[in-house]
Amino acid sequence: MTNHLVFEVGTALILVALAALLAGRLKFSIIPFLILLGMVVGPHAPHFGIIDLRFIGSSEIIEFFGRIGVLFLLFYLGLEFSVGKLIRSGPSIVIGGSIYVALNFILGLVYGFAVGFPVMETFIIAGLLSVSSSAIVAKVLVDLKRTANTETELILGIVLFDDIFLAIFLSIMSGLLLGESTTILGTITSVLISLGYMILFFIIARKGAPILNKLLNIKSNEIFILVIFASLFFVAGFSEKLHVAEAIGALLLGLVFSETEHRERIEHLVIPFRDFFGALFFFSFGLSIDPFSLGGAVWLALGAVVLTIISNFVAGMISGRKAGLSHKASSNIGLTIVSRGEFSIIVANLGLAGGLMPILKPFTAVYVLILAILGPFLTKESKNIYQLLNKIFKWENKGNLKKQSTSILKNQSEEKNSHGM
Amino acid sequence: MNIREIELPGIGKKYEIITKSADKIVIIIHDDGRREIYYFDQEDYEEAIASTTFDDSEARKIAAIIGGMTYAPKALETIEMAFDDLVIEWSKVEPGALAVNQTIGNLNIRQSYEVNIVAIIKRNHQKIHTPGPETILEVGDTVIVSGQRNQVKKIVKEILSRRDG
Repeated sequence: MTNHLVFEVGTALILVALAALLAGRLKFSIIPFLILLGMVVGPHAPHFGIIDLRFIGSSEIIEFFGRIGVLFLLFYLGLEFSVGKLIRSGPSIVIGGSIYVALNFILGLVYGFAVGFPVMETFIIAGLLSVSSSAIVAKVLVDLKRTANTETELILGIVLFDDIFLAIFLSIMSGLLLGESTTILGTITSVLISLGYMILFFIIARKGAPILNKLLNIKSNEIFILVIFASLFFVAGFSEKLHVAEAIGALLLGLVFSETEHRERIEHLVIPFRDFFGALFFFSFGLSIDPFSLGGAVWLALGAVVLTIISNFVAGMISGRKAGLSHKASSNIGLTIVSRGEFSIIVANLGLAGGLMPILKPFTAVYVLILAILGPFLTKESKNIYQLLNKIFKWENKGNLKKQSTSILKNQSEEKNSHGM
Repeated sequence: MNIREIELPGIGKKYEIITKSADKIVIIIHDDGRREIYYFDQEDYEEAIASTTFDDSEARKIAAIIGGMTYAPKALETIEMAFDDLVIEWSKVEPGALAVNQTIGNLNIRQSYEVNIVAIIKRNHQKIHTPGPETILEVGDTVIVSGQRNQVKKIVKEILSRRDG
């Protein structure tokens, strides 16, 4: 079989590229397209002559590529992230982020228990309901030309906060799920180990920057990439040995590098790998799902979707109003952050790796598929949704939303030129 | 003019500008080098009504134009420097002005207007410092006059500018 391996992977890549082209043409995020594509092909798919859409021989290698995709996704997240950024972004983001995470997580717990999941499964579900897709949110904001809006700062801040939550949540859960102990004390120990591991990396990030700056001062790109990737794969793999999810290892290493002066160089280096292997990650996730097994999970996922939309809207409203935004701008917040994608899948995969109920997989697939498509749509239609809700809740009449500061400026201003556009 | 700089994690940097004439403009510098400029509705600072996108090289060229680096804005016809009531003014001799093809002596400038002609820049960029009474003024010369503000205004109006009718 191995002699066909490259051809099989090549076939898979052609399909992935076509799906991505289609997504681009339709101005959609590629995430749902690649998951759907993976679901359509796979063991149940037909094969004609040399074109084999079952990917039996190559499924292992594709899955491994997907794993690498997770490492790159989280490594990049760590790079992008910096404590300084969060501190600079101010108090309204901490408030908004806390409200957002708390509301989603608590409702997720309630939902998990209500539909009768065991404790661990419920935690995983609450977690995957709470993490929005940074990739989709950023893309939608840019595509819809909303980057200049006032509420966008708050949206991105909440997403950043959400990412921190994801990191902490994954560490704790990997301690709970991947540790091999059965006693309460052993479990607590393994959770403490993974939290200690995290703190260790924080300290390295804070204190080790000068040494790392020297060590990474490598002129040759060839050697630089080898050093970076070697540390990435080694640290991720080593974390797994300590029962800390490899994804967390990648994220923490990204965090360490983000404090060095080589951050941008590493970012530029990693982006193409993140995009390539990330695409394979979504494809391989779809590939591992049997479309005929979705039945039992559809209703569960639909319930979770409705819950997520409501909780996102409410959390966005509260944090927006707290930050002094208008009702209209605040309504945009929840309707933008509602998209779900890569991180929900990563949380679910951790649960599956920990041997939890297999229904998590189809549940997450349906949930992410719906919200990766519906989320951007809600963002696009936020104005109409707001107007509809405004009719019910009567937040504001077609009011004048100008800030007072401008009227003072206006008085000083001379007559305006008409602006030809 | 009021400028706020805001970090947009994962996207880039954002500059929110409110100008003296109460226009709200937002400039986004994307991490990938693109720049976007948004112009907001004067009545509603939440509604962007126009936007445009530049790539990195376009943005640099436009920045140079706005900053006056590539194309120095043509100075206003008159540049004034004021020392309390004493001003120095650059003024062109317009076609049809009284001063055309007259000498400084003939025009009796010092006596009639109590101002000094400090220098003249001819059309071929030749500079004449402290011109004497025999110097002839021609169309297109830039005359640098110093004196009391109202007197300088007067000489520019009566002798150097085109006479209507």
